Amino acid sequence: MAQPPVSSQPQEQRVTEFVSSYQALRAEVGKIIVGHADVVGQVLVGLFAGGHVLLEGVPGLGKTLLIKTLAESLELTFSRIQFTPDLMPGDIIGTNIIVEDAQARKHFQFQRGPIFGHILLADEVNRATPKTQSALLEGMQEGAVTVSGAAHPLPSPFFVLATQNPIEMEGTYPLPEAQLDRFLFKLRVRYPGLEELTEIIDRTTHVRQVEVRRVLTGAQVLAMRELVREIPIASHVRDLASFIVLGTHPQWEGAPEATRRFIRYGASPRGAQALVLGSKVRAISEGRFNVSVDDLRATALPALRHRLILNFEGEAEGIDVDDLIGQIVENAESRSGSGKEVFLR
Amino acid sequence: MPGPTVIERLVADVGRQIRLRRAEFYGLRGLFWGAVAAVVPLVVKESFGVWSYVAAALLLIGGATAGALRGFLMRLPQAEAARLADRGYGLAERVSTALEWSSRPDRTPIVDALVADASTRVEQLGARRIIVRRVPREARLVPVPLVIGLALAAAPPIPLPEGRLPSFSVSREDDEEKAPPDRSGEMQEAERKQATRRDPVQRADVQERNLSPRLGGGGQSQPGDLAAVFKDTSLGGRAPDFNSFLKKGDDRLRMLEQLDRIPDLQSDFTQNQTRMVFQKAKALRGGLDPNKKVSPEKLRELLSEMERLGRKNGGQGQAGNWSGDVYEGMEALEGGQSDKAMEAMERALNKMRSMEERGRDGKSLKGGRESERRGGRRGDKGSGQQAGGPGDEGDFPEGEGLLPGRGKSTSPKGDATSRLSGNPFDVGVEGEARPGRKQGIDTNMLGRGAQMPSRMQYMGVLGQYRKMMEESIAREQVPRDFQGQVKEYFQSLDEK
Repeated sequence: MAQPPVSSQPQEQRVTEFVSSYQALRAEVGKIIVGHADVVGQVLVGLFAGGHVLLEGVPGLGKTLLIKTLAESLELTFSRIQFTPDLMPGDIIGTNIIVEDAQARKHFQFQRGPIFGHILLADEVNRATPKTQSALLEGMQEGAVTVSGAAHPLPSPFFVLATQNPIEMEGTYPLPEAQLDRFLFKLRVRYPGLEELTEIIDRTTHVRQVEVRRVLTGAQVLAMRELVREIPIASHVRDLASFIVLGTHPQWEGAPEATRRFIRYGASPRGAQALVLGSKVRAISEGRFNVSVDDLRATALPALRHRLILNFEGEAEGIDVDDLIGQIVENAESRSGSGKEVFLR
Repeated sequence: MPGPTVIERLVADVGRQIRLRRAEFYGLRGLFWGAVAAVVPLVVKESFGVWSYVAAALLLIGGATAGALRGFLMRLPQAEAARLADRGYGLAERVSTALEWSSRPDRTPIVDALVADASTRVEQLGARRIIVRRVPREARLVPVPLVIGLALAAAPPIPLPEGRLPSFSVSREDDEEKAPPDRSGEMQEAERKQATRRDPVQRADVQERNLSPRLGGGGQSQPGDLAAVFKDTSLGGRAPDFNSFLKKGDDRLRMLEQLDRIPDLQSDFTQNQTRMVFQKAKALRGGLDPNKKVSPEKLRELLSEMERLGRKNGGQGQAGNWSGDVYEGMEALEGGQSDKAMEAMERALNKMRSMEERGRDGKSLKGGRESERRGGRRGDKGSGQQAGGPGDEGDFPEGEGLLPGRGKSTSPKGDATSRLSGNPFDVGVEGEARPGRKQGIDTNMLGRGAQMPSRMQYMGVLGQYRKMMEESIAREQVPRDFQGQVKEYFQSLDEK
């Protein structure tokens, strides 16, 4: 391979460092987590894109372990909140308590809650009431919380990883759309295959000797986030992202038939942001300097599946949102001129 | 900057490939339509001769060339070529992104790395065609018009129909010489011969005279009356404008003469049979064509019908007995003497006509079936009144009339109509059930018995049943609540 021009050496180096850090972090997580390569990759994409990730899967698949391992791999503070129905917003954000100083004067002092950590594990987030769930809203979007009129900034990077269980829905409170929209990705944790299950048994039923190294600091994560945003995207790829997001809206005239039939509400502009940002992280994690159509295809599912609200017909027919997104992406590609007959136009 | 140059070179190369493929695609499409168009001059090569081949070849070549030119000159943005280059070489949008971002003012430092990376990858590419050939659907159909065209070129010229408008300026002599051979009407032929004998000098006089409209049947014609022009057949025969008109007239007259081909509307049963015989005889005599020969079969048929009619009306006096003439005619027909048969038929017809005329005198003018029916009925009853003929009937005496109670019947309501006595459905027959409302109270029976009328009085047996019920309730140990229910049930039956 020919060497790139001298002028691009520092940028090349930055990208190379990004790739190596990404790979190192992935390798550390992989020491503990068996399989789930795509889930681990998407979690890291979420981390470097500056978003938050919701993991959905049945109990026992290693969701919590994955997040804990990731937190151990980073030199960042880690908080875990087990969401329960009696959890209150103050239990997450913190509260003002009366303290007495040396002069025996009493005053209110803000006692920080567990949200004040770099990495927050909101375990079984759908078991808390919507009131408590909404305590995360401001922090996830603004990176700060307001208590008694005083805004308290959260540490940066701030990364929320929430888990929820798709079964045992009794006594749960499904996340409202506003809350779901705050998550960059929603990942589905599938059941492991035979080989992965064997490996899990071998690793977890012996004396654990695996140690996870801290491979990245908070500053490095922030630098990598900045680099991600520098990745250029071609106009036709950006247009494809727009077509994909617009294709989720049944009111749009270019929406596919499946959208019109089964979707009530489509993705918000946050969906388009998540799509492009996630694609950028994926591109740079593969050592590329630009976003490709394949990046959009790969990112569309986790970025959009929690932003589509099915209508009654869709719910009644048990439509899989992932299938729907696949059709939307195909329709968008044909509409954006990525078809085979493009040279005939 | 060497990077973009390499990329631009690649994009230009891909652009050339695209143009070539477009030229192929649209050239094939143009070839098809050119071949289709080339068939037309080959069809009419009888008229154009060699020029048809030239035109066909030009259309074929021109179609393909125009299509290829159109495809080659179609607009091709550089970005589109770059996208196809990315796709064709598997460059993951590196070329298109580098090409677009290298000229943007808001380019980030990483764009330089992108351009360098893209250039490096492009330099490693081998020259190959990445744009696949696409064949239009029309290309598969190209052999069809080509084969048709070749066949037409090799085949002899197709004779084309000569559509010529009638010449209104043709001279009279030409018109006379080219008289249509299928003109068979003898009357028109005679008129035409007469017209040809006219002096040409008289023609001008005829044309210039003032024509007056007809008044009634044969009045003087006034100026501008076209009917008078048509009446003057000699003028029509000489003027070329009337040729077609006369021909049509001949055809229509011929159709009218062929009565046997016209639907037999006279077979309506409301028609008088005698009148039908008259009509058939008239048709048999040749209608409007006096020279037409009589068909022996039809004459025999008519005579047999007249004979049948004579038998039917046999007892109606000497004047109505035409059977002898009919027999005479049939014998003559058997002997091959059609004229005698016709004479006999005419005599029979005259007798028939005279009988018909007698039947129409006086009050019998009412005619029709009603009067015939009345006359016939009176005859059946043997009232003794002499009937003059069919449909003839005498006056009612004073105090008698057609209204019920005023007629000849002694019954104050008049005679019972035959319809009532003959129709079993209008008469109530004892012992038979009939649909409709029943006088008795219906029972709630099921099964076979339900179809039959009740032979027991409902209200009569109900009391007995109620009594039995009370005895049964007293005898059996029925709970008090149920006793009330049973009694209520029978009470409800009583209320009905």
